[in-house]
Amino acid sequence: MRNVLRTITAVLLVFVVMGPLFASGAAEADDTIHIALSAPITGDWSEFGINFQRSVELAISELNAQGGILGRQVRLSVGDTQGNPQQAATLAQQWTSDPTVVAQIGPFASGPSMAMQPIFDSAGMVQLSPTASHTEYAGGSRWSFGIVGTQAGEGPFNANYAYNEIGIRNIAILHINNDWGIDTANFFTRAFEGLGGRVTRTEFYFEGESDFTAVLSTLRESGADGLFIASFYNDGAAINIQRDRLGWGVPVIGPTSLYSPQLIALGGSSVEGLFTGTGFFTPDPDPAVRQYVQSFQAKYGALPNFHAALAYDAMKLLADAIERAGSTDSEAIRSAMAETRDFPGLAGSITFTPAGDAVKGYRMLQIRNGEFVVYD
Amino acid sequence: MFIQQLVNGITQGSMFALLAISFGIVYGTLRLLNFATGSMYMIGAYFGWLMVHHVASNLFLALLAGAAAGYVVGYILERFAFRALRGVARIASLICTIGFAMFFNELMSVVFGAERKAMPSFYADTAFVIQGVSVSWLQIILVMVAATVLILLQLLIYRTKLGLAIRAVSLDFKTASLMGIPTDRVISLTFSLAGAVAGISGVLAAAYYNALFPYMGNMAGLKSFSAAVFGGLTSIPGAILGGYLLGIIENFAVQFISSGYRDIIGFSILVIFLLLRPQGLLGRKTD
Repeated sequence: MRNVLRTITAVLLVFVVMGPLFASGAAEADDTIHIALSAPITGDWSEFGINFQRSVELAISELNAQGGILGRQVRLSVGDTQGNPQQAATLAQQWTSDPTVVAQIGPFASGPSMAMQPIFDSAGMVQLSPTASHTEYAGGSRWSFGIVGTQAGEGPFNANYAYNEIGIRNIAILHINNDWGIDTANFFTRAFEGLGGRVTRTEFYFEGESDFTAVLSTLRESGADGLFIASFYNDGAAINIQRDRLGWGVPVIGPTSLYSPQLIALGGSSVEGLFTGTGFFTPDPDPAVRQYVQSFQAKYGALPNFHAALAYDAMKLLADAIERAGSTDSEAIRSAMAETRDFPGLAGSITFTPAGDAVKGYRMLQIRNGEFVVYD
Repeated sequence: MFIQQLVNGITQGSMFALLAISFGIVYGTLRLLNFATGSMYMIGAYFGWLMVHHVASNLFLALLAGAAAGYVVGYILERFAFRALRGVARIASLICTIGFAMFFNELMSVVFGAERKAMPSFYADTAFVIQGVSVSWLQIILVMVAATVLILLQLLIYRTKLGLAIRAVSLDFKTASLMGIPTDRVISLTFSLAGAVAGISGVLAAAYYNALFPYMGNMAGLKSFSAAVFGGLTSIPGAILGGYLLGIIENFAVQFISSGYRDIIGFSILVIFLLLRPQGLLGRKTD
């Protein structure tokens, strides 16, 4: 009798302790759609990561207000990659081992995206990076998608503007020394030389660098009549301030990563006349863009940029793909995602290539009187 | 071109030198490497920025604000990373400074946002031109501030009673205490001074690069630590010399080889030099 009582007590205790775990796990799996976001919330890239989180949370609150996806509310888990590939890979393990996670958005840069890729590939989970643009990223796995468009498309666009519209013949290139920067510089060089232009000198800098005076002095010596900078807007502002201080007044052109109101806020008069491509333009009269800019500003007190808009597009696209798939089955979501045609994103429409890269359209902007205007 | 890189090197060197002094003061007195030096630099920059944006747009007031903020952070560090851990292995204090560095970086990124903030230009007008290279007043101010801090510190350490106390504590902590020197107050003041110098350096860097962000101290701290080791960790003139030499060598490395080799050359010279002269340029050989 005592043994029986003891057994019953033990079994009951196990249930009491474990019960909440089973209950909450089962409940969440049933009535919500669990999306994972990987982004550099802390570290050198945290301003991008935080914008990712803001945009995705904004998109989810809109989706939930409209009844969610497939009639179920959306739940978000955010993981911090710290911009570090090792950390990103650990996160990928965490997401894929959680059976409630339906799909993953992120991360920010190509390096961490490619570090996460093999883990999503073997687990069969959709990886949708808003901003990874390395040409080998999306093609690396059938589960990986990128919506920023690759440098294979952006390089020729920028080279064409530099050569034919601005009239640069000899260009110097300064790029950040990471996967993305090298790719951007290479595709631009290939396209620019293809048009008959000459690259006088290519130099790079490491992440976290704040002094560009020495390298700019060297590039200036190369006799270039234009400068292409493959960097993000914050470094871009620092580069232009120091270029201006050196008195090196040549036309400057850069990829979409330069487009941000922060470029002008930080760069001041030194970025006047700068050319940058973009797929997203804050003063865009398009009603969807205007509504997004207004809600973002109302909620976070800051203007969104291109990267933020892409993160928003990623969440809305994923919601659309799950709706079209009609279930949260990974394979069904993947097929629906691959079949996306002309999805109306804020940062340009999205159609995937067989590799999983988006084909995007760009617009060239120029900074005039301290404002971005469309350059025609 | 040679002049241009020399000017670049001296400007950058001034900021390295100030931070290297900050490492040097703490290490010279306590034999402790303060890895939160970069964070004191960053916090100094933020308080300088607050002064410029909310009180008065004046570089010298900003420098005062930065120095004050650094002073307070130095005081906090001493209380928690050093005094609270007295009697424990020195490594515990060192790890604690690393912890504080991360704490301050993330704290500032939460409070002020992770994005870069713009610092307006000060004294950007050209002071003079040598061989086509223009030198701005700000660059001259940078060098002057570094020189002033050096002279004031030397006077403080070698010409005042307080300096005598600092030197006594640095030579023998226990004996100094037995001789009636209030060692706690001396050590606390040393940390605060190091914080103030780092804070000044941070404001100067923010003004020169027109930008500040929560992680600005990471690379600056690492390079200045190298400059301090290069110059001899215990010597303040050595720290200054190390800072300027590192700045100049790095800029010439970009000029003559490639931008990618900037840090490789800088740190290779550091390693080779230390193999030949482990105490650094002007360091004491005793320990």
